[in-house]
Amino acid sequence: MHTDQKINVTEKKTPLISLVGQPNSGKTTLFNFLSGKNYKTVNYPGSTVEYSISKILSKHAIDANILDSPGIISLIPSSPDEKISVNSLHSHPEFGTPDLIIVTVDSSQLSRHLLLVKQLKDSGFNVIVALTMKDILHKKGFDISEKRLSEMLGCSVVSIDGKTGGGIDKLLKSINENIINEQSGREINLLRLPHNKRKDSLLEAYREIESIEKEVLYSRNSDDNNKAVNLAKINEKLVVLNPSNTQNRPDQNTLALDKILLHKFWGLTIFAVVMSITFTLIFWLASPLMDLVNEGFTIASDLAVAALGNTWYGNLVSSGIISGVGSVLVFLPQIVLLFLILGLLEDSGYLARGAMIVDKPLSKIGLNGKSFVPMLSGFACAIPAIMATRTITNKRERFLTIFIVPLMSCSARLPVYALLIAFLFPPETPWLGGIAMTAIYIFSIASSLVIASIVNKFSNKLSGDSGHSSFILELPAYRKPKFNVVVAKTLSNAMQYVKKAGPIILYLSIILWFLTYFPNHSPQIDTEGKQEDEVSELINSERIATSYASTFGQFLEPVLKPIGLDWRVGVSLVATLAAREVFVSSLALTFRVTDTGDDMQSSLLQAMKNATIDGTDQKLFTIATSAGLIVFFVFALQCISTIAIVRKETGSWKMPAIQLVMFTGIAYIMAFITVNGLRLLGIN
Amino acid sequence: MKTAAELKPGEKAIIKDVNNDHPSAHRILEVGFTPGQEIEYISGAVFSDPMAFSIRGTIVAIRKNEASCILIKK
Ligand SMILES: Nc1nc2c(ncn2[C@@H]2O[C@H](COP(=O)(O)OP(=O)(O)OP(=O)(O)O)[C@@H](O)[C@H]2O)c(=O)[nH]1
Ligand SMILES: [Mg+2]
Repeated sequence: MHTDQKINVTEKKTPLISLVGQPNSGKTTLFNFLSGKNYKTVNYPGSTVEYSISKILSKHAIDANILDSPGIISLIPSSPDEKISVNSLHSHPEFGTPDLIIVTVDSSQLSRHLLLVKQLKDSGFNVIVALTMKDILHKKGFDISEKRLSEMLGCSVVSIDGKTGGGIDKLLKSINENIINEQSGREINLLRLPHNKRKDSLLEAYREIESIEKEVLYSRNSDDNNKAVNLAKINEKLVVLNPSNTQNRPDQNTLALDKILLHKFWGLTIFAVVMSITFTLIFWLASPLMDLVNEGFTIASDLAVAALGNTWYGNLVSSGIISGVGSVLVFLPQIVLLFLILGLLEDSGYLARGAMIVDKPLSKIGLNGKSFVPMLSGFACAIPAIMATRTITNKRERFLTIFIVPLMSCSARLPVYALLIAFLFPPETPWLGGIAMTAIYIFSIASSLVIASIVNKFSNKLSGDSGHSSFILELPAYRKPKFNVVVAKTLSNAMQYVKKAGPIILYLSIILWFLTYFPNHSPQIDTEGKQEDEVSELINSERIATSYASTFGQFLEPVLKPIGLDWRVGVSLVATLAAREVFVSSLALTFRVTDTGDDMQSSLLQAMKNATIDGTDQKLFTIATSAGLIVFFVFALQCISTIAIVRKETGSWKMPAIQLVMFTGIAYIMAFITVNGLRLLGIN
Repeated sequence: MKTAAELKPGEKAIIKDVNNDHPSAHRILEVGFTPGQEIEYISGAVFSDPMAFSIRGTIVAIRKNEASCILIKK
């Protein structure tokens, strides 16, 4: 061992407390209790991928920063990425070396988690152990003697109840005592664990841990204990066969469930059913809620017209702002449902099983079972999904996953699909829409897999050096999702969605309104012998035909004609570069949805039905062009934030550039094939 | 020598050794598959790959070829 660094903690600075522990051991849960924050906790090993720092809540009366970190299995890194994590633990580039480490230890699998504690102590860190998941251990009929464990480890041990926050006060007391001791100017010498002779020292460490486990773990029911001893006496062979504490079996319900959910045949069937139900539900459960939102915005828009009159600013508020923003928010219920179902899946513990089930097929095309969770969260949003790929240790597999995640149908595409589906299928048959929605999702998954396998075949240069492929994943105990927690999480996700997309939609709606309203804001037309309705319609169409947006859109026509679209859709497509959902609001604007009593969405649908290609009688939105648009949205990379995060996570512009060109190219070609193929078949 | 990859669902065994030559060997040791431990093969995905084992109070899934570096006795 060599001395890595010397830190003198005499200088007074705010102490740094790092939360360290195995994946899924309850770090983030504890972090939230201490900091009052609300970071995502998921029953999947590897839910946290970024460091987050916060002050400890002032009510706890400790002046210290607390750092949440991604889970680690061992202090001896197995990959370059893990090496970075271990280095950050010793000395984080931004936050420095921790004055104190709180290690979360899942008490229901004590020996596995004590390994890290031992390594941290051996490296010379100042450590407090937080025992989590006591409830699971109790359910197994065991308990832990904290006092004994603390003596044997030589550091404080505190139990934390992850559900109620019980034990936090004790933990704070320990922290306080510990930090006061530390501040007295002791030098910490941190050591790096040796990399050689890993196996021997590892086995030695485990032997030590096992002897600790035997001392501190006891059966809660002394009767049981006697029974076990008696049983052992009767069956001596059992004792010989089970030298270690094998009564500590995995959670019984989990074992029983896994016999079914991981069954060769049933496992796969259930997996397919779960996934299809998810997407079908999203569509038809949402419609009553959507009607509600729709009505709300229609009323608001009418009120605006009534209050401001038929003036340019009245028009700005009613058509520009209210129906622009409203046309997108109508689809919020679907997005909420998507988040809700994903949240339930995350909390149940099923995700890890999903990852295991798809590992084999995914590994055939150069991905990994661990690509599953990033791909699934790509249905909500590509940004966190791309960050979640950090749990994939193999670089090549990780890069390939990043490559295809933007093809997952993110929630921003949901409003677009929902609108086009509503256009294609009559409202009396919501189940047809549900099926269509499921089909789009399946199509997007299938295409992404095809693209992955092609890229995997032909590009060895995506990531350079690869290393060997591996899949080692803990399958955490199933638990009943805590419904109120999931609902709270869903609502906060939905709020974030609105906060992120809302302003963009608002600004773009105003800009687009401007571009479609000016310069010819009050065109002169011949009003003789015409009804008032007719007149205002003529004014509208004349105004927009001579607007800035139209002038700009004419440039796009040559590109759009082959896929059956005109400049109005083109302007909307350009607007989607800011955010895909803007497509819907800008369609609403360019097709001049003026409220004539009808509610907003159906009037947009009506306007789409009536729209004709400039100067002809040919309908603009047909089955062929709508299907073509859907296909376009499945592939096209119309999201600046995605491009930015891919750049950040891969460290170069290469991948986002390839993605932009390739996906947008495929989108155009596929849309062309769809539109013209359907036309050839006589479907129009 | 039998390996964990050859177990049938529901079968238990004691680990004898872990083959050092496998690139995942160390990680496999670190997650708790050490000599002397009892494991049970719970269930596998299609083609029994990956395989889920009970180990040290939890369940860990590993690929079949990774399981084949775990030497066992029954
Ligand atoms: N039953 C039980 N569950 C808990 C307890 N503490 C946390 N959990 C749950 O365990 C799961 C994992 O908790 P997290 O706090 O996300 O764990 P983590 O250590 O941050 O995990 P990673 O970020 O993946 O490394 C979540 O579903 C929590 O709700 C506890 O004391 N008992
Ligand atoms: Mg976490």
